[in-house]
Amino acid sequence: MGIVRLAIGSLARSSGLDEERVDDMRIAVSEACTNAVLTNEETGTGEPVTISWVRHPNGIEIEVRDRGAPPESQPDALDSQGFSSRLVMSTALLQELADELQVEAAPERGTLVRLTFRIDEDTVT
Amino acid sequence: MELGLDVRNVDSHAVVDVKGEIDVYTAPKLREKLIELVSEGSYNVVVNLEGVDFLDSTGLGVLVGALKRVKAHDGSLALVCTQDKILKIFKITGLTKVFPIHASVEEAAGGAA
Repeated sequence: MGIVRLAIGSLARSSGLDEERVDDMRIAVSEACTNAVLTNEETGTGEPVTISWVRHPNGIEIEVRDRGAPPESQPDALDSQGFSSRLVMSTALLQELADELQVEAAPERGTLVRLTFRIDEDTVT
Repeated sequence: MELGLDVRNVDSHAVVDVKGEIDVYTAPKLREKLIELVSEGSYNVVVNLEGVDFLDSTGLGVLVGALKRVKAHDGSLALVCTQDKILKIFKITGLTKVFPIHASVEEAAGGAA
């Protein structure tokens, strides 16, 4: 996972994003990978998690895909003591740190998480 | 990816100095250490995150779990963190309202439990 974060950090910096946005991207991608790894473990699939990215002139799109089964039902948002579950916290981070978040889940195909980070005048150093 | 954990005692608080990156692979080590401290009777804990380079939801989950454990013994869990990139994670997830976050170990251990 550390190597993924290093690669994402390099990608972000080479695209001209400032350090705060670089950190945002590293955390968001790590979150998506963590969710994918844990889904794979829970559903016992041997398929690897794949990460791919596309550089556009005005943004970077990163896709994280797992082949495990999506959760059958929504996890409870709060546990009995009023704390958010890890997945709820993870979703909050993904939504807040990425400019756009898309999730596509299908029982046979697994889950695809697409994160978009815009590159514009305000964020380029 | 190694996670460094050192434990020391400051003003009756067990202080855990964490170094490295806390993610899905390293978080279990922190979790085990915090469980060990509580099982040994340390219910006032300070987790020093100043040496942490990375933290995500698995790390947050470990800290929340530890908070629940110490609270079951009327204890406390405080954090030390001045890094904006780490504080941001707590703010986004609303955990700044849950954990006392201090600028130094002395401040965290010296305050009321």
